[in-house]
Amino acid sequence: MSWKKDEDTDELGALMNLDQSTVMQEARVFNETPIRPRHSRLLLAKIIFLLYRGDKMSTTEATDLFFSITKLFQCKDMSLRQMVYLTIKELSTVSEDVIMVTSSLMKDMQPKSEITYRANAIRALCKIVDPSMLPGIERFLKSAIVEKSPSIASAALVSSFHLFKDAKDAVRRWSNEVSEALNGKALSQGSSFFGGGSSAQNQVVSNSKIVQYHALGLMYAIRQHDRMAVLKLVQSFSGQGKSSSWMGGSNPTLRSDMAQVMLVRYAVRVMENDSSLLPQLYTLLEEWMGHRSDMVSIEAARAMCQLRDVTAKQLTPAVNVLQQALSASQKPTLRFAAIRTLNALARTHPEAVQPCNVDMEGLITDSNRSVATFAITTLLKTGNEASVDRLMKQMQGFMAEISDEFKIIVAEAVRSLCRKFPSKHSVFLGFLSGVLRDEGGFEFKRAAIEAIMDLAKNVPECKEAALAHLCEFIEDCEFTKLSVRVLHFLGEEGPLTARPTIYIRHIYNRVVLENSVVRAAAVSALAKFGVSPMADASLQRSVNVLLKRCLDDRDDEVRDRAAWALRMSGCNQTLRDKYVRDDSTFALAVLERKLVEYCADPDASSKGSFNFESIPRISRAQEEESRTRARMENMDAVLTGTTISAPSGSGRQAGGTESTEPGTPGIGSGAAASGFMDSFEQQVQYASQLNAIPELAVFGEQPLVSSAKPVELTESETEYVVRCVKHVYESHIVFQFDVTNTIPEQVLEQVEVAMEPEEDIEGVLQPVVVVPIAELKYDQPGTTYVAFEHTDPETFPAVSFACTLKFIVKECDPATGEPEEGDDGFEDEYSLEATDISAGDYMQATYIPDSHTLWESLGVDGEAVETFALASFDSIEECVSKVCDLLGMCPLEGALKPKSKAAHQAVFTGRWLGRTRAVARTRMTYQKGAGVTMELAVRSEDRNISELVVSAIA
Amino acid sequence: MASIIKAILDWLRSLFWKEEMELTLVGLQNSGKTTLVNVIASGQFTEDMIPTVGFNMRKVTKGNVTMKLWDIGGQPRFRSMWERYCRGVNAIVFVIDAADHNKLDQARAELWSLLEKPQLANIPVLVLGNKNDLDEALTVDQLIEAMNLQAITSREVACYSISAKNQVNIDITLKWLIQHSSSASSSSSVLQM
Repeated sequence: MSWKKDEDTDELGALMNLDQSTVMQEARVFNETPIRPRHSRLLLAKIIFLLYRGDKMSTTEATDLFFSITKLFQCKDMSLRQMVYLTIKELSTVSEDVIMVTSSLMKDMQPKSEITYRANAIRALCKIVDPSMLPGIERFLKSAIVEKSPSIASAALVSSFHLFKDAKDAVRRWSNEVSEALNGKALSQGSSFFGGGSSAQNQVVSNSKIVQYHALGLMYAIRQHDRMAVLKLVQSFSGQGKSSSWMGGSNPTLRSDMAQVMLVRYAVRVMENDSSLLPQLYTLLEEWMGHRSDMVSIEAARAMCQLRDVTAKQLTPAVNVLQQALSASQKPTLRFAAIRTLNALARTHPEAVQPCNVDMEGLITDSNRSVATFAITTLLKTGNEASVDRLMKQMQGFMAEISDEFKIIVAEAVRSLCRKFPSKHSVFLGFLSGVLRDEGGFEFKRAAIEAIMDLAKNVPECKEAALAHLCEFIEDCEFTKLSVRVLHFLGEEGPLTARPTIYIRHIYNRVVLENSVVRAAAVSALAKFGVSPMADASLQRSVNVLLKRCLDDRDDEVRDRAAWALRMSGCNQTLRDKYVRDDSTFALAVLERKLVEYCADPDASSKGSFNFESIPRISRAQEEESRTRARMENMDAVLTGTTISAPSGSGRQAGGTESTEPGTPGIGSGAAASGFMDSFEQQVQYASQLNAIPELAVFGEQPLVSSAKPVELTESETEYVVRCVKHVYESHIVFQFDVTNTIPEQVLEQVEVAMEPEEDIEGVLQPVVVVPIAELKYDQPGTTYVAFEHTDPETFPAVSFACTLKFIVKECDPATGEPEEGDDGFEDEYSLEATDISAGDYMQATYIPDSHTLWESLGVDGEAVETFALASFDSIEECVSKVCDLLGMCPLEGALKPKSKAAHQAVFTGRWLGRTRAVARTRMTYQKGAGVTMELAVRSEDRNISELVVSAIA
Repeated sequence: MASIIKAILDWLRSLFWKEEMELTLVGLQNSGKTTLVNVIASGQFTEDMIPTVGFNMRKVTKGNVTMKLWDIGGQPRFRSMWERYCRGVNAIVFVIDAADHNKLDQARAELWSLLEKPQLANIPVLVLGNKNDLDEALTVDQLIEAMNLQAITSREVACYSISAKNQVNIDITLKWLIQHSSSASSSSSVLQM
């Protein structure tokens, strides 16, 4: 035995010092006759080692190597052949002409060759084949999928799964075989029980489980875009009791735990967005929680915890399952999975997690630090004020032992605790400043200072202490970005404190000691102290002296900022306020994009300087909210892993669901803010799309107003999916229709939308241009436009249009998407829901800072008031979000978040046609039975406009 | 019984006289390379074959000679790779569909460009006009003419008209090939037609 060990270590040592060029030289061995199997095999191992080590091979080298390796096909030595397969798979991405081995691999996968050959040949084959070759091997793959031997069936299924990316239509044709692999094995398992001994049976069962897992994965991949099919798949595997599977009857069962876990995920994905299916989903999940396998029951519990509108009652069984897992002393993975899920759940439903408090206390001392961290942070969320001190102390004990990711989780947990128990601020501050002194990466430090800043903002009593800790932090901070962030914060908050001078000292130290970026930030912060309304004359003088010193700085930016600040200090108070204490900011995403466009445009400078007017403004509060939201989403992603519960990109979802569920606690107004950020972004995209079409580009540089979100004109599951977006120009209105063809066998040509006004619009709106889609292939969205000229600029009509999709249908081959030859197609129509244009469409939702002053200055001259009785609404929230939609205006802070159920006031701002400023104020009261009564008052620079805005509600 | 004794004798003889040779079969697609390999290996003719994607490797033992046959796909995408498999072999077999007159020019061009490769100098070439069971198939002389084989002087060239389907002239083909196995090839350098 010992000599073997020696050889092994020698071999390993030799491998570590492998040199690529030597190996390439040696590769000539492959061309020798006769083949030396053992020698060649070792050499292949070396080549694979090189590739795994990350050594790069040039295409020529790899191709030469590949062709010499193909010579090895003449040798029948089994272990050599396996190495050949492996190497071919590795070389398939580097070498040219790998298709050369297709025939040889096909020969190896024939039923008459060895099982080992067959499975491996299939796996190698799918790596080298290109979609055009697929029809040639389709027959063999199909029969391999239903092969009795698990290794072959698995190889075929997994290979098909990989092929599915490039050859969707071909793989779809195999779904019969896949479903046979998925279901049929249950029968063969039964027969082998009678045929073979018990050991043989064991083998079949254990291996064919994996086949089922792979088959389920492939089946889902094939059907994932067909909701009904996925639903059927889920239901077929969940709709029966244990007894029928005993009989080997028609109802299939999942024997593989991994497959069962996947089924849980698919079930959630397909059912959670359909309210009619939710009860069924709850029952299923509860049933699965009782599954004999831990993996499945944890997954089901986790899925339940992540459902959006889950109630406390539904959570109870899930929490019970997790609680049991917490005490699984032999299985750290189980404990980890359970505590991680509970941790995420505690963010939304702390009360549901409370029953586990005792178990979690026990986990604080768990030898696995990750489990312990999660336990503590969960307890912090669920626990009461009294336990905070103790927990914080315990946590401090092992901060040094956990990785940065967990430190961030701790910092975030402390941050949310600060909000919950403001009276404990001294404990938190002490903890945070303690961890700031320790070693740590950027993200962790950032999380910690953000938490301190949060404290300073929200708990006035501890502001000075918090600022002092921040000052201490920047004295020795290795991260420029964080220094800048802290300096900015000091500039914001410092001037409002009782003794601003102490901060000035710290800030000026930075000017003396730091790099230019930090120095510039410090100068800006200093300037804020100078111009603050709280600053007395002596403070102003001192700041000016410091700023004057900065005029000699080595760096341009620092000097510029100092000069600007000095100049500002000489101005009067209103001007200072305008520049230094402005509470609005640009929509940064749009600003960035516009600036990039401006810089990329070669004749931009000849057109004049950059136009800041075109950038929408939002309030700082909104920006802050959208940041917080982004942060929460990041945390969610960290805590829940890849988010199964939000498959459609949570960012987009936030914008889309904003109006449908204003009641979700905590995200209502955050969603609104980020929704508006998104819509600005969206408008810029629209503009560039529109300007790409010559007929529409003449209407103006960009639409004055574009609707914030598309309106669906079809159900989402129909043959053609159409969404409408409206763009209002100076004197034109453009309807944009995004059309998707969901039928693989069809190509549509000359697609356009016919719009019939339901009222007389003669002399007001005149149809001018229709831009059709020349060719619309399956699953490739296209856009068609209909443009009207707005001939009477004085009236703004509210009209409904009946819409019909018109097109020419041609049959096509789903594999290629090319229409069949000689098919002239036929004309067809498809009726859509009506679309309309109303007053809200002319309004651009813009944040206008200081709406109160504007309201006063506009005066009653431009005011229009009306009272509405809206009996159809059941709550104020519902009503206010609907009003917000109709007005098309920007809700100010708190507008969408009524504090009381009975009465609410909301303020909206916007610009009519992107120009005329308008402010709307509403007062609503709600009485059960009578619905909502609302008074709407609108003031703008033009009385007619005010009246039009009011008319949007009617 | 007699067959068993004969087999044992064959085996004994092969122990002493065992010879190996390597051959590469090339030629345009649908000229019958894979079919020919099957006929040589098993004596069976199969009517419908699928195009070879890449190559097939067959080992065939005839008497005391083991032939390794590299049968390379004839579609245009594989032609650039013929050369790689022709290097160092005992003989190159170039198969032509003698009944497909339209493709003769193309076949000649491919043959000549292959023979021009410096790496393949001096390797004997056997040109086979396959499908002579069809009426319109060229005769040997016509084929030599069409392929311009007289112009090849620097290596050994032979040309036969065969039919894999009816197994015509397969025997003389094999005989020629076996003559060119590793031991025999060094002695003969005569141009034979």
